[in-house]
Amino acid sequence: MKPEHFARLQHTQLEHLTRRHFLSKCTTGLGAMWLAGSAGRAWGAGGPLQKDPANPLAPALPAFAAKAKRVIYLHMAGAPSQHELFDYKPELRKLNGQDCPQEFLEGKQFAFIQGVPKMLGPQFDFKQHGQSGAWVSDRLPHFASVVDDVCFVKSMHTDQFNHGPAQLLVHTGTQNLGAPSIGAWATYGLGSENQNLPGFIVLTSGGKNPDAGKSVWGAGYLPSVYQGVQCRSEGEPVLYLDDPAGITRPLRRRSLDTLDRLNQKIAEEAGDPETVTRIAQYEMAYRMQMHATDAFDLKQESEATHQMYGTQPGKESFSNNCLLARRLAERGVRYIQLFHWGWDSHGAAASEALNKGFGDRCKEVDQPMSALLKDLKQRGLLEDTLVVWGGEFGRTPMLENRGGGDNPFIGRDHNPGGFTIWMAGGGVKPGISYGETDPIGYEAVKDKVSVHDLHATMMQLMGFDHEKLSYPSQGANQRLSNITKVGTKVVEGIIA
Amino acid sequence: MIRAFLTSTVNMVSAFAAVGESVQFNRDIRPILTKHCTACHGGVKEAGGISFIHRESALGEGESGARPIVPGKPAESEMLRRIRSDDPDEVMPQPKHGPPLSAAEATLIERWISEGGEWQNHWSFEAPKETKVAAVSNESWPAVPFDRFILQRLDREQLKPSPEADPAEWLRRASFDLTGLPPSPEELAVYQNAVTADPAAARVAVVDRLLASPHFGERWAAVWLDLARYADTYGFEKDPHRDIWPFRDWVIRAFNADMPYDQFTIEQLAGDLLPGATAQQRLATAFHRNTQTNTEGGTDDEEFRVAAVIDRVNTTWTTWQATTFGCVQCHSHPYDPISHEEFYQFVAFFNNTEDFDQDDDSPRMKLAGDPAKIEETSAMEIQLRVLREQLNQAGRSLAESAGAWQPFTPTTLTPTHGKLEMAADGTIRGTGTFPRGSVHKIRGAASPFTALRLRILPESDDPKKWPERGSLVTRFEVRLIDPAGVSTPVVMREVFVDRLGGPKEPQPNSNIGGFPKLEGPRWAVFVPERGIQPAAGAQLEISMAQDAQTAGAQGTPVRRFSIDLSNADEWSQVVGDGQRAGIWKSYRELKQAHQAVKGTMVPVMVEGPVRQTRMFAGGNRLAKEKEVTAGVPQILAGGTVSEGMNRLDMARWIASRGNPLTARVMVNRLWGELFGTGIVPTAEDFGSSGASPTHPELLDHLALRFQDDFKWSVKAMLRELVLSATYRQTHRVQRELVERDPSNLLLARGPRNRLSAEMVRDQALASGGLLSPVLHGPPVYPPQPAGVWNSVYSGLQWKESEGGDRLRRGVYTYAKRTSGFPGFLTFDAPSRDLCSARRLVSNTPLQALVTLNDPAHIEAAQGLARRMRGHSAELPAQLAYGVLLATQRTASAEMVAELISLHADLLKGYEAAPAESAKLAEAPSAAALVLTANTILNLDSALTR
Repeated sequence: MKPEHFARLQHTQLEHLTRRHFLSKCTTGLGAMWLAGSAGRAWGAGGPLQKDPANPLAPALPAFAAKAKRVIYLHMAGAPSQHELFDYKPELRKLNGQDCPQEFLEGKQFAFIQGVPKMLGPQFDFKQHGQSGAWVSDRLPHFASVVDDVCFVKSMHTDQFNHGPAQLLVHTGTQNLGAPSIGAWATYGLGSENQNLPGFIVLTSGGKNPDAGKSVWGAGYLPSVYQGVQCRSEGEPVLYLDDPAGITRPLRRRSLDTLDRLNQKIAEEAGDPETVTRIAQYEMAYRMQMHATDAFDLKQESEATHQMYGTQPGKESFSNNCLLARRLAERGVRYIQLFHWGWDSHGAAASEALNKGFGDRCKEVDQPMSALLKDLKQRGLLEDTLVVWGGEFGRTPMLENRGGGDNPFIGRDHNPGGFTIWMAGGGVKPGISYGETDPIGYEAVKDKVSVHDLHATMMQLMGFDHEKLSYPSQGANQRLSNITKVGTKVVEGIIA
Repeated sequence: MIRAFLTSTVNMVSAFAAVGESVQFNRDIRPILTKHCTACHGGVKEAGGISFIHRESALGEGESGARPIVPGKPAESEMLRRIRSDDPDEVMPQPKHGPPLSAAEATLIERWISEGGEWQNHWSFEAPKETKVAAVSNESWPAVPFDRFILQRLDREQLKPSPEADPAEWLRRASFDLTGLPPSPEELAVYQNAVTADPAAARVAVVDRLLASPHFGERWAAVWLDLARYADTYGFEKDPHRDIWPFRDWVIRAFNADMPYDQFTIEQLAGDLLPGATAQQRLATAFHRNTQTNTEGGTDDEEFRVAAVIDRVNTTWTTWQATTFGCVQCHSHPYDPISHEEFYQFVAFFNNTEDFDQDDDSPRMKLAGDPAKIEETSAMEIQLRVLREQLNQAGRSLAESAGAWQPFTPTTLTPTHGKLEMAADGTIRGTGTFPRGSVHKIRGAASPFTALRLRILPESDDPKKWPERGSLVTRFEVRLIDPAGVSTPVVMREVFVDRLGGPKEPQPNSNIGGFPKLEGPRWAVFVPERGIQPAAGAQLEISMAQDAQTAGAQGTPVRRFSIDLSNADEWSQVVGDGQRAGIWKSYRELKQAHQAVKGTMVPVMVEGPVRQTRMFAGGNRLAKEKEVTAGVPQILAGGTVSEGMNRLDMARWIASRGNPLTARVMVNRLWGELFGTGIVPTAEDFGSSGASPTHPELLDHLALRFQDDFKWSVKAMLRELVLSATYRQTHRVQRELVERDPSNLLLARGPRNRLSAEMVRDQALASGGLLSPVLHGPPVYPPQPAGVWNSVYSGLQWKESEGGDRLRRGVYTYAKRTSGFPGFLTFDAPSRDLCSARRLVSNTPLQALVTLNDPAHIEAAQGLARRMRGHSAELPAQLAYGVLLATQRTASAEMVAELISLHADLLKGYEAAPAESAKLAEAPSAAALVLTANTILNLDSALTR
């Protein structure tokens, strides 16, 4: 066979990718493999989307007009205390030091509190800020200046009180392993706007991975191509992105030219369309080497920008990651997930205690997250970029008394009953506070929002009905909002 | 549009009832019901009292009194009337629930009802049966019996098989499929010579050589370990190290020894319960100790014990039965006739093991480091349990028979924390906070006794509320206080308990109660050496310290208890018995001997006392409902009587000929590994919601051949697959056939699969002459980028292995659940969190980055370049040899010319940049060859088999 056969093969491959052909003839290896998984299955509403097997991350349209084209999720691993940041309760201050009333303890399971703990008032001063009059503690002076762009949700609740399961729930809709993360759903539903970068990028800071491990950005039962790609702000941003020592760009290019030509010959001989796909992947990898390196090069930013974020290029930090998130958002990356670490303020160690390390954590995130919002806004990106900030649960209004005794520092135990997250941009109402906890900030009581409700709302903002974007697994059409949960609803009250 | 696609797929893969042919329920009707009806009329919802999962319901009366299906009478069948109704309130499916049936679908249902409406169970629940294949178009094509099924289907589709693959193509495919490694140039040459003389004999010789290779077990273990969710860590937050690699080696050895699949099944599911279980049989049960253990602070051990049990149930069903059992945890199966209750009956098989989400992963067996001591050490463990049971049994029988217990009623109750009160029922109850370290002290008038019984009770008498928080006495002290206030300790010689087992071994002065949970009322009888005769007016003081805490830092205080005394002589006689002292002596000696053995502690299944198993409402373990006993689902029982079954009986049921799924699921797995897609493409789901088999008769034929003719021999089955005419076809394909059958479901050509994650690495190392052939042993740490491992609260470090261990096969690479080996994850390997029945193959730019840039692949290229230079002094021959090593192809002149031109350009580049060159090799020409070798290793032919 001759080169024209290769051209024909390419044509055949493209033809397969057109929907009509796709539907009537099934498709080439990879796509067929994915869909073979679904042939003959029972669909209710939904069912798997048709995907271009040569480029499963090709941009795709949502089911309806999306308000959020991309998402930046800032996860504060360890669960920051709402009592020390946003959910101001003067009532709790009055109770400080008193024995916790029995009614707050009955039927509750705590991670560490035993018996009767003492109540613990807010540890810092609160003031109202901006036109919206949002309450923010004195730990977040920078953030206080952007509150009019922010929508606080103070009535979050979850049903998990250990970090690993709770983080899984926040990112995959279930506390059990094996389900896709939000970012995997987003790239599955929408593809990515930039084929030269991964569509779902994860950046961690604080030197640790999340408690739940890399499953919080896994693809679960979705094809593995939708899993998050952990990038690093130190060293090569994507694993194996850099050319190895001794292989320069021009030499690599020369080697890829030969590889392409030889693979074309192989495609002609064997006739396997997967070979054609592989040729395209190698070219994409080459482009990714340039584009990702460029995207992660913070030195390109102005001094003013570095001042605004507090960034130091080459260092792994939440500041750097916030600036990177903006650069990636600009480049059309669909889902950008940041993890910051160290918010588990039990009072068992100085590094995490409310009266010690908590302040350092606040300093680490305050300036960069505020800069991110300002920067997105000034670049016109905030309106279609959804920014979400939060932990995996809240903290108790009680002082932790680990094992019934005294902790060396001041801290609070895990509290699934109520916590605060904030969102900005991407179609949420700016300058509002939604929902309330009880007068001591313990339980969400008004306009309660479950983690599943949050997911349904995020899907809605991205242009999908959370009940319809689904994928078959274990005999059912599974979805982010967890088919086993009833009563999940979109939080209409926060959508602009 | 999805439906249109599906229909076309189904059309291609299974023949519909042609006009004039009778309608078959399973083939023609069930898919329509599953697609349109069972979401509302199924196992979860039975709208209108109708379920199309059960024959009785579909043929019976609905709530309205109408009969959905009246056999032979379509006009009287309510179902058909509603399907064809124009009334939007009447039509089925209701428009809000889904689109209407096509006219063709409605006609099929009508024909089926007219023809008598014969119901069939779903195909996979019926026993496989042999079908004779009549004539085929080319009687000389089939090489093994099953080829006839493939050819018959091709005849029907008017397709012809492809020609035979050339020897190199077949040898590469067979070598990877059977051993996961490429053939060496010598093996290729031997085969190429032999094949010209006698092709059949040459192929047989190769296949037998590959099946006998010790690398066979490594290749197939990689497949099994995905199902076993094998990993070298616990999982969850801290994800600490777990020594369970001996199980991985057990799997490799079992495949190498061609252990029959029924035995392989029984030993992994219940090897510990086999009579006279050997160490290897006990080790096999580590299969189900690959569940995750949660050591995060503040976690509830019962929550994760239950999670592990449920995972064992689901994994068993996915691995052996390809049935989606997980959904039955919350409600009856939506599509298949398996009830909610049957899920929990199956849970009961796994609910009795001793493991309890403990930080030390207990119970574990000691696998002696000295192979000669393995069996002996295991036997010691079994004997220790036997002796301990025997010693305890004496007191257990006595506790029930020896006279009446007199309640001891204390007059003072002085706890260090919280409050203790006498309750109306005679028990002592605690309220308030009992932190770790609490001590309960009680005192009352002393009377003579020979034994003292402590009962530790749950706060609630309702078994549905059990288990409760743990309740453990860590120090138990009894004292007599004479009227003058002089206090004398009562030394307990022995303690007898209601049952042994669990993480804390009872001692005469400690470890009494329930830990980490109190699963119901517990008792212990303390016996002093001689009867106690207190002086008049003396007081008896009992003090109970509670110092334990669970992994989750929860204290385990005693919250409700009572004390009784007995003055029966038998107690003193039992503990004073001379023979008994002898047993104690041998017990202690044996324990010491066991402790002295050096070895690896491996978590295994250990059966404890039977726990109550209750159904969970909506799958929620905190909402317990009625109690169930162990059993297997009725639809699959096949005459097995569930009554009194234990885990071993269940394993035997799975591994029996009578089970319609076990053999089918395994041959489908083997088929899928070799041909790229299973005969049932959804290898994890053979139920109504899974895909239909492309060749149902073939699947049955292979299942029967596997279990009957081959007596469950995996090697014999694979031998037949690899020696078949179907497998022997070339994978070279014309455009027309790609369009007609893109996924190669009809097998009109040979398979062309991408290498698995492990194979990608192994082949690179093998081509570079670097691969270590060493088998077995602890996991290894090949080079991995710095900083990939950064787990919280974990001191685990990726300490790069040295020497040959850097270059071991992928199956030995350390598998950390929360942070998998990056090169493997990129090539679709699962995280091993959960059972995974197949890997979906992707093709991504990140994969290209791994094989182009990963230092391990550069090292392989350097090795390959060395071998190329060692082979010949001439560049063209070097290049051709490189291609041969990486792909087994004879490079065409055109290919060699392309590579020569590449090498020339690279050489120029490296001569101009000696510093770069030096990073890769000693001289520019060598550096150019390294990059050329790296290019060769990235050829599509090098990444496929």
